Amino acid sequence: MAGIFVFSEDSALAKQLLTPALELKKSLAQPVTALALNEADAKELATLGADKAVVLESGNKWAEGFAEAIYSQVSGAGASILLVGGTLRGKHVAAYVAAKLNAGMTTDAKTLKIEDRKLLATRVLYAGLAVGEELVALPAVATIRARTFVAPPAAATAGVVETVAVEGDARVSLGEVTSTSAAGVDISAATKLVSVGRGFRKQEDLKLAEDLSGALKAEMSCTRGVAEDEHWLPIERYIGISGQTVKPELYLAVGLSGQVQHMVGCRESKVIVAVNNDERAPIFEAADYGIVGDLYEVLPLLTAALRK
Amino acid sequence: MPKCLVCYKWTLDEQDIKVKPEDLSLDSSRAKGKISDFDRNAIEEATRIVEKQGGAVEALTYGTSAVKQSLKDLLSRGPGKAYWIADASAEHADASVTANVLAAAIRKLGQYDLILCGEGSSDLFNQQTAPRIAALLGLPCLSFVQKLTVEGDTVQATRKLEDSTEVVTVKGPVVISVLSEINKPRIPTLKQVLGAAKKPNEEIKAADLGLKAEDLQPKAVRQSVKGFVMQRKNVIYKESSAADNVAKLTVSLAAEGLC
Repeated sequence: MAGIFVFSEDSALAKQLLTPALELKKSLAQPVTALALNEADAKELATLGADKAVVLESGNKWAEGFAEAIYSQVSGAGASILLVGGTLRGKHVAAYVAAKLNAGMTTDAKTLKIEDRKLLATRVLYAGLAVGEELVALPAVATIRARTFVAPPAAATAGVVETVAVEGDARVSLGEVTSTSAAGVDISAATKLVSVGRGFRKQEDLKLAEDLSGALKAEMSCTRGVAEDEHWLPIERYIGISGQTVKPELYLAVGLSGQVQHMVGCRESKVIVAVNNDERAPIFEAADYGIVGDLYEVLPLLTAALRK
Repeated sequence: MPKCLVCYKWTLDEQDIKVKPEDLSLDSSRAKGKISDFDRNAIEEATRIVEKQGGAVEALTYGTSAVKQSLKDLLSRGPGKAYWIADASAEHADASVTANVLAAAIRKLGQYDLILCGEGSSDLFNQQTAPRIAALLGLPCLSFVQKLTVEGDTVQATRKLEDSTEVVTVKGPVVISVLSEINKPRIPTLKQVLGAAKKPNEEIKAADLGLKAEDLQPKAVRQSVKGFVMQRKNVIYKESSAADNVAKLTVSLAAEGLC
């Protein structure tokens, strides 16, 4: 068995996968192959440390339909490990390939290393209540969510780029595709959220948070109190045990204290930032970054800084 | 008139699982069983399709001997018959074992037009079962479905992805995984609960599925489970100058690739 393969249809995430792949390469001493859906991605992945990048070329653009071709590449090389970007499309592809390989698979691995010639990965269980370690026999498949790792720097020498013509899944015909990223009502799909609590004195003051959201290209969410008691924002926007659960890349909490019933809805956010005037508010313990200060002073400054 | 099979999992209710503060181990001694949340949506969806168009809904589960407890609840939710595989292998089964067992059972049961699953189970949330079953059975798979329409042998689904929705069409048979937003599962009426007792259920022995010992061996083995503790960087800027604090935060956000 030889080879560490990475695949993501998401260009940014594909680059991030190379970081754990190159770490695993140190333990396994096996080459890294990146599978891509277009030549631009493949070329870039080859400059970032992939020994080889393969463009899978097909007239059928449904990403999930590439699962069979990915399986052929991975099994043809007798690969030890396949890392797939943990988007929903990626999870579909990864599980399909794992089944064809009769391989184990870790969903949303947080850390990966080789132990006893097996893949040892950590991941979340029971809706976030617990964290578990899984030891997966080789060949092993793992999905990794966006921003779990940062992309590696450019390698000293670029890998080779090849193109292979493949078949898509002709049984599935793709119809209308609607982008939802601009719709704005579905906060669970938002990658960035500015979340407001009752540190705001009146509804008009939410303008400060709106401006900040605009500068960050974020959506707005809130605490239960803001939605249900004050009716300042629609019910669909409140985060918490009886409201929405979100996992954005950035959760910027302003003027909210961080009660556990609220935090259970957002604690899996990649990065949590807090702005609060009470240094002892529990939100700071749950935050990666925070500013202790008056939101009425901090928000306009932060909005201005981000607009630059 | 579609013939539907819903695959479901009997899990512990995670609401009842407590983290022991002394060693972060999990205490599930008070946890009751439940039909995994998203699987209830799959059961509901299949039941609605059949209530509207005719056909049949059956259900299939694989687990330890505890799965027998699921049958009454399952059958009160709509399916006309339940098949259950109670096997000790389920105690440590990973997604590969589960899919091997379910796919072998489906081969044995015969052809279905729609095979439905929840998008993931409420305990492990591997999100692997539907694509794995499809791969093993050689069927197309439509995952993460928020809307489903069946007309004759044509199945049209709206899939919801991170940044888009897409409409996909296949000719059945097909494996489908549904999102929780596809419907609101019914709360069974007293009549439905009483009616459940009259509906048939059938045990399938794992030994009769023609599986090799290796197919029942988990490839991903759980080593340790610990209660979740929030691990955050806790970098708090609290200088007296708000402008200084904002400048530092902006640098941190840029380093995280967030602005």
